[in-house]
Amino acid sequence: MFFQLIVSGISFGSLYALVALAMVIIYKTSEVPNFGQGEMSMLSTFVAYTLLVTHGHSFAVSFIGALLFAAILGIFLEFVFLRRAKDPNILSLILITLGFQMILYGLASWKWGADQRDLPFPVSDFDVINLGPAVISYLNIATLLITLILMLLLFVFFKYTKIGVAMKATQQNAMAARINGIRTNRILSITWAMSSAIGAVAGILLAPIATLDPNLMLDPLLKGFAAAVLGGMTTLVGAALGGYMLGVIENLFGGYISLEFKSVVAFGIIVLVLCFKPSGLFAKHYVRKV
Amino acid sequence: MKKRNLVVMLTCVLFLSVAFIPAAQAERGVTDTEIRIGQWGPQTGPAALWGAVARGTGCYFDMINAEGGIHGRKIKYFLRDDGYMPPRTKAIAKELVEDKKIFAFASGVGSATGMAVKKYLHKKKVPWVGPAAGSSHWAYPSTKYLWATYPLYCDEAAILINYAVKKMGKKRIAFFYQNDDYGKEGLYGAQLALEKLGMKLVAEVSAEPLDTDLSSHCMKLKKANPDCVLNWVLPKQGAIILGTAAKLGFKPQWMTTSTLSDTAVMYKITKGLYKDVYYTCFAEAPDSPHKLMRKYRKAQQQYAPKDRWGIFFYAGFYFVEPMVEAFKRCGRDLTVENFVKAMDSIKDFQGIGPKNSFSPNNRQGTRASFVGKCGDKGKFLRVSDWMSSGVDVNEVIKRAYNR
Repeated sequence: MFFQLIVSGISFGSLYALVALAMVIIYKTSEVPNFGQGEMSMLSTFVAYTLLVTHGHSFAVSFIGALLFAAILGIFLEFVFLRRAKDPNILSLILITLGFQMILYGLASWKWGADQRDLPFPVSDFDVINLGPAVISYLNIATLLITLILMLLLFVFFKYTKIGVAMKATQQNAMAARINGIRTNRILSITWAMSSAIGAVAGILLAPIATLDPNLMLDPLLKGFAAAVLGGMTTLVGAALGGYMLGVIENLFGGYISLEFKSVVAFGIIVLVLCFKPSGLFAKHYVRKV
Repeated sequence: MKKRNLVVMLTCVLFLSVAFIPAAQAERGVTDTEIRIGQWGPQTGPAALWGAVARGTGCYFDMINAEGGIHGRKIKYFLRDDGYMPPRTKAIAKELVEDKKIFAFASGVGSATGMAVKKYLHKKKVPWVGPAAGSSHWAYPSTKYLWATYPLYCDEAAILINYAVKKMGKKRIAFFYQNDDYGKEGLYGAQLALEKLGMKLVAEVSAEPLDTDLSSHCMKLKKANPDCVLNWVLPKQGAIILGTAAKLGFKPQWMTTSTLSDTAVMYKITKGLYKDVYYTCFAEAPDSPHKLMRKYRKAQQQYAPKDRWGIFFYAGFYFVEPMVEAFKRCGRDLTVENFVKAMDSIKDFQGIGPKNSFSPNNRQGTRASFVGKCGDKGKFLRVSDWMSSGVDVNEVIKRAYNR
């Protein structure tokens, strides 16, 4: 049982990791945790569903279509709402993202209704590989691999590409970045597009397990946020590791201590981390110099 | 002389106005041509799946109006979306009672939402028939203006337990439930039914309504090695737990509540795993040849063609059938007091659900359900007649709420 709890924890943890990554990308450039993230992923997953089931396109086409939609949605929200904010301090921006959450949730309920749907996925969650005392499904393996690949790509992107470095610069000091010729507005748009697309991947990987409805991301978003806080809101690798850790901790807690309090673990972790290491387990503690 | 006439006339006018004005205002929500009825139901938000109940009731009333109404009165129906949020239900109840002056409330989805307005409706003497939830809150104890038509969750659980043990020979039964009134009443119903048979649940595992990762829950269930698991959660978690169990190679006989009896949807979202799952149900099967079912189905095609003909849609018909029957029994003289008497005169009344009987001391109209089984491609198969459980509801309430 112990081994199986860990394997299941890692598989679900990789979904938390994806959500955490999506959050951190935006946080890194604008210091805003995007609470509309979950609904953005959910909406993109519905787009994948519509392309796949209603219009009968292939999975690949629907998947790419959904990612494109997600990217455009991200740019749209940033450009139309956040950029227009009159007094763009962090609190008001966070409130705007909460507004997104409500608008997108309502939109999806209106367009697709509340019935649970099944998103067909090329890899099954019922076909499993035996790892001795535990089993892991093909879908879990796919989720793990996709998360790892995305992490690697993001790492390379932020470390070695010009835009990646520009993004980091924008986060550290937007004014200085602008003076140095970085178009910070464009950087923000790109961040939102990337984050939204990664969120969409999480949604599409989750829907075959949890069924698709407007509530798809309510729980995973909170968990992803907790994971990001645990690992560190400013570090991609940290946030992703936070996701895996949270998945495993939750499952072990549920398996050995209490199932009733399992869903509270994530929030307990947020509180503990904020009390003892507010920047997260894996982030370097920044002290801004005047 | 003239002056005396004037005085007499004035006295008459005064007398008549005193006598007639209250009569003209007498019944809230009833006029010569209409009866005003309200309902709340989540059309948006996490429970919007059950919003179909409220639309079903609307369709039922459309059908009745098209047939000429009841004793010359048409039903004017007010449907409001509360998004499954009790504060909004409160506002809706106030608006419909005080502003729209409705006569009665029909159905209304949810335990928490209904509980938020139960006292208020009682205080305002608003009749309320058929809350769409099977908790014991409505009829235990009975109150003057409230009648329940949804079989109790504890009865459903006990019926399934009896079926599993007596008909299917199951020996090790586990219970997976949502950690709230809905889940707990089911749990205690199952416990009591098993105690009667001299047995015990081999595992009791609870989940929070929002949990998405159910692997540790599933492993706990599997560890107890049950041959049958009763599932008292919502459709989403019902699908997740079946998927997780299939992955872990855990294959007990699954049984579920009427909440998961929409086999067409359940089969689809579980990718076929729902086949051979047993469940309880409170109204005829969707393709039943029952005369009323055929009639209602026609009404759906005519008045609500966009809605799916599923169990929750026609539940909206079933929950309020006795209400319409009581209107018929009242005749033209429809007042709250007469309506209460008419409702309590209903005995063994049967529409598309089990038989309902009411009296001033018994406001739980029915405690019966039948057992169904999901067949190939999500087909709804009825496998038993109407059955009741005989569970001691007071004991369930004692265990669940310590009262």
